[in-house]
Amino acid sequence: MNELITVKELSKTLGKVKAVNNISFSINNGELVAIQGHSGSGKSTLLSLLSGLEKQDEGEILFDNMKIGNMSEDDLALFRRKNVGIVFQSFNLIPTLNVVENIALPLFPTNINKKEMMAKAQKSAESVGLKDRLDHYPNELSGGEQQRVAIARALINDPKVLFADEPTGNLDSKTGKKILELLQSLNKEIGLTVVMVTHDDSIAKVCDRIIKLKDGGIQDE
Amino acid sequence: MLRYALKELVKRKKKYALNILVISLVVVLLITLTSLNTAYKDASKLPFESIHSSIIVQKNGNVAENTTGALVSCSLAPIKKDLISNIKSLDGVSEVSYGLSLWVFDEDTFKRVLGVNWDDSLGRKIKSKIYVGSLPQSDEKIIVEKTFAQENNIILNQKIIISGEAFIVAGLSETSGKDIVSSDIYANLKPVQEMAYNSKNLQDTETFDRSDINIIFVDAKQTKVADVSEELDSLLNKQDSFSGKTPTGQKIGSYSIYTPESFENQISSIFNISDKIVLLLTIVILIGTALILFKSMAHAITERKKEFGIMKAVGFTNKDLKKQLTLEILIQVIVGFLIGILISLMVLFALSGLTVSVNIPWELNPYPHFLASDPSSVNTIQTYPLPIQFNPQQVILPMLSILIISFLTIHILLKNIGKLKPMEVLKYE
Repeated sequence: MNELITVKELSKTLGKVKAVNNISFSINNGELVAIQGHSGSGKSTLLSLLSGLEKQDEGEILFDNMKIGNMSEDDLALFRRKNVGIVFQSFNLIPTLNVVENIALPLFPTNINKKEMMAKAQKSAESVGLKDRLDHYPNELSGGEQQRVAIARALINDPKVLFADEPTGNLDSKTGKKILELLQSLNKEIGLTVVMVTHDDSIAKVCDRIIKLKDGGIQDE
Repeated sequence: MLRYALKELVKRKKKYALNILVISLVVVLLITLTSLNTAYKDASKLPFESIHSSIIVQKNGNVAENTTGALVSCSLAPIKKDLISNIKSLDGVSEVSYGLSLWVFDEDTFKRVLGVNWDDSLGRKIKSKIYVGSLPQSDEKIIVEKTFAQENNIILNQKIIISGEAFIVAGLSETSGKDIVSSDIYANLKPVQEMAYNSKNLQDTETFDRSDINIIFVDAKQTKVADVSEELDSLLNKQDSFSGKTPTGQKIGSYSIYTPESFENQISSIFNISDKIVLLLTIVILIGTALILFKSMAHAITERKKEFGIMKAVGFTNKDLKKQLTLEILIQVIVGFLIGILISLMVLFALSGLTVSVNIPWELNPYPHFLASDPSSVNTIQTYPLPIQFNPQQVILPMLSILIISFLTIHILLKNIGKLKPMEVLKYE
């Protein structure tokens, strides 16, 4: 398998705390990787560095041979739009937009025509089982449905990797299981690389690989 | 992005209602203010509209001791015709017309007689009012004003006597009673000059030569009216001292120069606001608008911080965010504007019911005021409907001001949004 992400001696300090401390690893195309650790271990910070939401203080991240650490804020935004999909624990949907519009959000600033945009959003919605909820607003959806919308939004640009930060953290166990199955199927069926942050052992176990963090460093891989 | 902007405004309409209300209010205030200001300025021109002229020149003269025979009207002094060529040579003057206005105290009736040249602007204006008959083809023919003809049972081709001379009625005209210089009889200038020259009472009061006139109408380019008026004043009122005064206090021998601006001070109304006050009010309104819009937009943007974080996380650049916010503001401005213009039209329609009173100087009023015991007590106020109207140009100032205020506000607020890091607002949710 090809290396998609290569992390070299990566460090990030938040305030006085070294949230990520000199870590190196790589992630291959098509892998389902769990980043696991206790609260404060630096797993969310690492995910935000990998997805280009934050910049590292030291070290290097090569994403498909691109150095993302040197990019400007706007270049990073464009990088995220083209290459990554991000799913958050708290869904982070826009309350004034309905399901199909929320899914299409990453396409709004592009030149894609409206018809094509909506067709892509509908297809993405169908792929996560939301075919019948297209006109609904976030406050009319269950937690599981909202997370599906977030996943569909993350998939709309055909990303190379899907980053998920505690994707089942705000869901009951039954719904969380379904979301996990969805992420697994995306990985297995379309070969999407998935990097998931979790503190839950049962979720980490279904992944190809677990990167365990402790105090910002890799404890076990 | 337009879809998102529209959804944002519709779904959170309460939040944006204040902005739209403020924009509408500013449009209404500024349009009403400038419309009123313009309307009162235009109102001062109304007395001049009927004569199609921008400046009137008269010379103040002596008051006759008795009211018999032909007299120069309003105690005006004769003016030498040579003066016309001097006035014509002034920069900005496009046409000069003149006439001789007489009051004729015949035994049977009092008549106002105006002698004119039918081919100048004054003559053409009277000519256009003839509704029956034809233009006088000879010095014996005259035009009679409709009301005067009705009151005195005068008909076409009738012979009437004016100051001892016989004239034939060639036509009837319909002139407005509101006209500055209106008359009962319109005749060729020459026979009227002869009438004045042969009037003993007039010659006892003033020295009148056969070619003299007593009223000059100057057409000047609109932008040059004030300059021409000043030049006329320095050309005509060179004398340092004049002897005596007319009943209304004008110096005998001096020239009175009337322009639409002469009437501006004669208009009294709480709505007649000076340019300086309009400017001051406009500045106050715009500063207030800027503060309210800034606060309201800053509040709305702060509340949407999380949304901007989401947008950035999914790939919106700062330029995309600016485009999105600009679109939202633009829609608010357009909606506010349309509402504002609609309300403005209603306000202007309501204000069009107002009237404006203009105090006409008695020398320009055709009524022989000196017959009254106190000339100043004679009512010379004329009332016109306020000429208020919606001028699309008036939209430009509020539109530009609000657009500038809005875009400056976005520009300032976006500096903070630009620095926003998505994880700062998203990770601790």
